[in-house]
Amino acid sequence: MPEDTCDVAIIGRGPAGLQAAIHAGGKKAKVIVFGRPERSSLYKAHVANFCCSEKIISGKELLEAGKKQAENFDAIFLEQDITETRSENNRFTLVTENGETFSATTLILAMGIARKKLRVKGEKEFLGRGVSYCVDCDANFYRGMDVAVVGNESAAVSGALTLLGYAKKVYLICRKLTITDVLHEQLNHSDVRIIRDTWVKRIEGSNEVEAVLLTNGDVLKTNGIFVELGAKGAMELAANLGVVFDAETFSFIETNKKQETNIPGLYAVGDITGQPWQIAKAVGEGCVAGMEAAKYAKRLADS
Amino acid sequence: MAEQGVLDVNDDNFESEILKAEKPALVDFWAPWCGPCKAIAPVMEELEETYGDSIIFARCNVDNSPNTPAQYSIRAIPTLILFQDGKVADQVVGAVPKSHLEAFVKKVL
Repeated sequence: MPEDTCDVAIIGRGPAGLQAAIHAGGKKAKVIVFGRPERSSLYKAHVANFCCSEKIISGKELLEAGKKQAENFDAIFLEQDITETRSENNRFTLVTENGETFSATTLILAMGIARKKLRVKGEKEFLGRGVSYCVDCDANFYRGMDVAVVGNESAAVSGALTLLGYAKKVYLICRKLTITDVLHEQLNHSDVRIIRDTWVKRIEGSNEVEAVLLTNGDVLKTNGIFVELGAKGAMELAANLGVVFDAETFSFIETNKKQETNIPGLYAVGDITGQPWQIAKAVGEGCVAGMEAAKYAKRLADS
Repeated sequence: MAEQGVLDVNDDNFESEILKAEKPALVDFWAPWCGPCKAIAPVMEELEETYGDSIIFARCNVDNSPNTPAQYSIRAIPTLILFQDGKVADQVVGAVPKSHLEAFVKKVL
């Protein structure tokens, strides 16, 4: 099998993704896991309620141990975010923040959930009138205008680079960037104007966004502000695959007891499928999805 | 149950189908490249099955019909606008849950 092809691709390396990797690898599937350990909500946590371990365990240590276990089953780990997913000819295509493309028979979504809102004045008020949470959706409305993107990670940087194709000027407001060297290099060689070591304090305007006030006291004139915190999440990566979200909150992905979504070959596990936010639930779902995805990939390969 | 399903509208027929319609209308401004738009599409269809007799459910592809969204200052999709008697009765931005949208359309029932 070529290096950029696998049976099971997993986005997210929290406990759900790791357990899925262990079980899919155990079934001899070729597994690639994408994402950064620090993004798991377990990374900074201490676990005291996980069955069969009386000691309080550090989340970081658990994640490291889980990675080693998965590697013992030949799972491959890539510390890159996924910025785009597509489904083509019954396979999934994943594009990483470095622009590399991978092809997978099955895909397990385990990226967890993260805060998407800035929680600043003007954010709610100007939603749809200059405030946007989706560069891919809304870039086209900002042709020839000045826009700003706020965020420290891959979603913000890839969003800012995308906006260069539409807007007149693109600003990136960030504290400290956590992205790969390759993406950093791309950013440095682009026309994106980077405003470092500051953050958005307030979004200002009369009828629509006219400026953002920064925490360093500067006022940046802009027609739009794209809020792109963290890595791309479920709505950004899964919705375009046609995944059905839960009817009640529209935030979580619907699955059955096999962790299957409505799309064949696509599974979801962990916090992304809803509460409770517990490691026990995450690994349980990961176990099921890992086995199911490996079986599914084998069945397709054998047919 | 209504038979028409979610109606496709565009810059050419927006006035006749929506603004001059006798019934109120909920229009989903969307585009094929937009993930959240795709997520909300089945919700529109479900609501149409329930409320399609009294409200027109329509969608406008902003890619093919740029003038109508510009007229309503749309700068984020999906944006859903509720029209009554040719005027904007209310609007919502982003993919919202079905219950939220249901409460929204009930305003004009």
